[in-house]
Amino acid sequence: MRFWGRALVLGVGLLAITTLFALQRSRFRPFGDEEDDPAPIPPDAREKTEYAFARLRYPSAGRSWWFRSSWPTDYPKADRQFVQGVRRLTRIHTRSMEEVVDLDSDEIFKWPWIYAVEVGHWQLTDAQAKRLREYLLRGGFLMTDDFHGTLEWDVFMESMGRVFPDRPVVEIENSDPIFHVLYDLDERVQVPGIQYWYTGRMYERDGIVPHWRGIYDDQQRLMVAICFNQDNGDAWEWADHPRYPEKYASQAYRVGINFIIYAMTH
Amino acid sequence: MFEFLFKYPASVFAKGRFVLLSSWPVWILAACCAAAALALAWHVRRNRANLTGLRPAVVWMLESSFVALLFLLLWRPALSVTTLRPQQNLVAVVVDDSRSMALEENGSARIAQAIHVLDSGLLSQLRRRFQVRMYRFGGRAERVADGHNLSGGQNATHIGDSLSGVLSDSSGLPLGAVVLLSDGADTSGGIGRDAVAELRRRRVPVHTIGFGRERFSRDLEIAGAAVPARALPGSRLSADVTIVEYGYARRKARLYVREGDRVLAAREVTLKADGSAQSEPIAFQAGAAGGQNLIFGVEVLEGEENTANNAVTRLVNVEAAKPRVLYIEGEPRWEYKFIRRAIEEDHALELVSMLRTTQNKIYRQGIANPKELEPGFPSTAEELFAFGGLIIGSVEANYFTPQQRELIREFANRRGGGVLFLGGRAALGDGGYARSPLAEMFPVRLPEAKGTFHRDEVKAELTPAGTHSPICRFDDDAGRNAEHWTRLPALADYQETGELKPGAVALLELSAGGRRRAPLLAVENYGRGRTAALATSGTWRWQMLQPLEDKTHEIFWQQLLRWLVMDSPARVSASTPRPVLSDEIEAPLRAEVRDKAFQLVTDARVAAHIVGPEGLSVSIDLPPEGHEPGVYTARWTAEKPGSYVAEIVARRGDEEIGRDVVMFRREDGVAEHFRAAQNRELLEKLAEETGGRYYRPEQASRLGEEISYSEAGITVQETRDLWNMPLVFALLLGLRGVEWMLRRRWGVV
Repeated sequence: MRFWGRALVLGVGLLAITTLFALQRSRFRPFGDEEDDPAPIPPDAREKTEYAFARLRYPSAGRSWWFRSSWPTDYPKADRQFVQGVRRLTRIHTRSMEEVVDLDSDEIFKWPWIYAVEVGHWQLTDAQAKRLREYLLRGGFLMTDDFHGTLEWDVFMESMGRVFPDRPVVEIENSDPIFHVLYDLDERVQVPGIQYWYTGRMYERDGIVPHWRGIYDDQQRLMVAICFNQDNGDAWEWADHPRYPEKYASQAYRVGINFIIYAMTH
Repeated sequence: MFEFLFKYPASVFAKGRFVLLSSWPVWILAACCAAAALALAWHVRRNRANLTGLRPAVVWMLESSFVALLFLLLWRPALSVTTLRPQQNLVAVVVDDSRSMALEENGSARIAQAIHVLDSGLLSQLRRRFQVRMYRFGGRAERVADGHNLSGGQNATHIGDSLSGVLSDSSGLPLGAVVLLSDGADTSGGIGRDAVAELRRRRVPVHTIGFGRERFSRDLEIAGAAVPARALPGSRLSADVTIVEYGYARRKARLYVREGDRVLAAREVTLKADGSAQSEPIAFQAGAAGGQNLIFGVEVLEGEENTANNAVTRLVNVEAAKPRVLYIEGEPRWEYKFIRRAIEEDHALELVSMLRTTQNKIYRQGIANPKELEPGFPSTAEELFAFGGLIIGSVEANYFTPQQRELIREFANRRGGGVLFLGGRAALGDGGYARSPLAEMFPVRLPEAKGTFHRDEVKAELTPAGTHSPICRFDDDAGRNAEHWTRLPALADYQETGELKPGAVALLELSAGGRRRAPLLAVENYGRGRTAALATSGTWRWQMLQPLEDKTHEIFWQQLLRWLVMDSPARVSASTPRPVLSDEIEAPLRAEVRDKAFQLVTDARVAAHIVGPEGLSVSIDLPPEGHEPGVYTARWTAEKPGSYVAEIVARRGDEEIGRDVVMFRREDGVAEHFRAAQNRELLEKLAEETGGRYYRPEQASRLGEEISYSEAGITVQETRDLWNMPLVFALLLGLRGVEWMLRRRWGVV
């Protein structure tokens, strides 16, 4: 009895310590267990800067419990490689490490540019949709990326329709400043994901034709830039890999940089 | 009492000269006095008996004075005075017939009191001895037969001009004196020196009789309202209204601004001590483009004696022009985006911006054509001075060439534009401005050290000066506005600055990191223009961290940029020193003409097209002002009361240099209701300076006698005996009486 009592205390203690460790996140790797493609933490990771790549952490739809969420796709390697380009190619004072934000608190309002990946799987709650709407109307900017085909578009629109039930999603004209604010991007191509390596296919699912769509505010300023049927995130992530074509990586960088500068000027 | 003792009025003594009428020489008088004094000294010394100490000297002095006075009387002392010769001189009786004289006090109007004074003997007294000419006056004097034509209906009180008119009317005639019956409420700004000098030259005394109370017992008066002459459409303006009250100390009153029947703003004020001028700011929105007649007033309180002085009218020219502001930013920043957004909502401003996105690329927005600013920041005065305001963001001082730095300085100094410096990691001290020639433009001293920019949150705090600044006003009510500032989210960053420079004003402050409070937004005038420093780039948080409906960020930037450009003159800048012609008809017009580099133009042709009441439309030329290069002036007569708009156009050859609009308004009879209490000081001073006297109405009966003593007109020298003054007899008796009493007291009788 005495033995079993001690064993119980020891077991409860171990469980508590394990739980504590599980819940405790590293200061520099708050979502370490959800990282899709880990990358080294830059030495100046916590520098206070004007701009930081803010990745939106959102709830995913239809994912089984054993399957990871879709928000950290390519995270954090894509983010950190992309901001290296932003730092080198522009005068934006940019942080070397990304910031993960969510729609559950007002903290997101301090990050006027956010990136959401694989939004063909997101499922925003009504409260989150409402906060995103407020965020965008106050002057925030959302770039979405890496979702493909009819089914994922429908899932995307199910949540976006609740964010802006009254605003249409339209194709962004080539003449729009977002394609010229720094780089002239009249001639864009479909940026493929990593599947291009092993299938040689540019598209995923039935997303054969790339689209650059958007949602405008009342002053004809883009609030949401939608990269549909393309995967800029993979291009940033694999830009350092010899097998990933340079021209797609270059375009992904240019598009991303244009989107940031547009958001900081309009 | 004076006259009882001295036999003659004080004015006789004031004007007369003391003489001794006896034919004996004065030295005999002195010798007699001396001999008598010696004899009395010997006598007192010999018979001093029980007199000890100073007592013999006192007795000697009293007896000597008595004997000396008797000797003096033997020499017949008298006054020699110059008097007007009866029936040979003219006396002008000048009666104030202005509206302020129609004010009722103690049951009768001031003008009625004046007529009563004249009819109760003064006029007949004067007529017995002089020829009397009667005048009434308002803006000028006109002759009347008698007092029955007086009604208190004239629109103005110009005492100086009227007296000059009387002098002119009587030139060549023996004008002996002027009797002025008035409340002294002059509406021309005072009696001109010329009129007084002419009266003194002709030695014509002006005797004044003052009517009306010297202060009201219950009255509110708007003593002034200072408001910008120009504004941009929809601007928030702040006016300083001066209130003077009597009898309502510590009571509440409602201050308002109206345009026609529409109330633009109103607030409650607590009245201060009686008679003190109290300045109260009131904020309001300028309306759409065009001239606005704004009425600043306080609502009438119960029992007010004069309700016509509770409001004044001021003109504000709301300009249709859309000033352009150039914003240069050295790096993409959120502040840039949100400033642009705020100004895009302001239809009265145009923001042209250039942003260094990369080392060699500049992204331009708001440009008029693809070529504008293509080569970069302007390097000529013509290009830069086309803007009314300039914002310099996170751009190092060395980014500008020496020539461009000089242009920036001249932009404020010569062109009269506004320059705003923002905080940032390449701005203010960190941008190297402390050691640049531009350092003198900053309203704060800049630290020379680097690392003054901090990306740490900090709250902006409103200063007392900021409370009254239209830049920092979100609510017309000062209390609610101050509370609004305390609720604002923290700024994203801040930059350290040094102390304020002399003449600069801090509108916002910050206190961060346990340091002392430091200027956050400081402003100052610089040359013809103005400069400001906003030591942060983090106001965008006010937009992102507050509900969409909140317009704090937009309003702040719109007001700041409007302040920046509101007083930036155009190439042709028209003005008038008298936007309100109170009982005047001549409007002075002035235009300053400059070329594209804002150098003065001396060979322009300048003309004004004036539109006024009843369809008036007239053009006049403005010739060059001799003493001021580039300045063109004219004086134009506004024949009718009402509002006038003058559009002034300057040309050189066939080229139009520019045009500007100036507004003015002629008001008749309005000033009469202000400062309507009797101005006794003015009347006393006028009398004193001309050799006359001031009288209250009840003293006026003495005037008939005293007016005779004048050196003007046809005069005769008269002597007035003094030996029989009651005072002399009283003195003789007094001297003997005092000696007798003292002797009784000392027991030596």
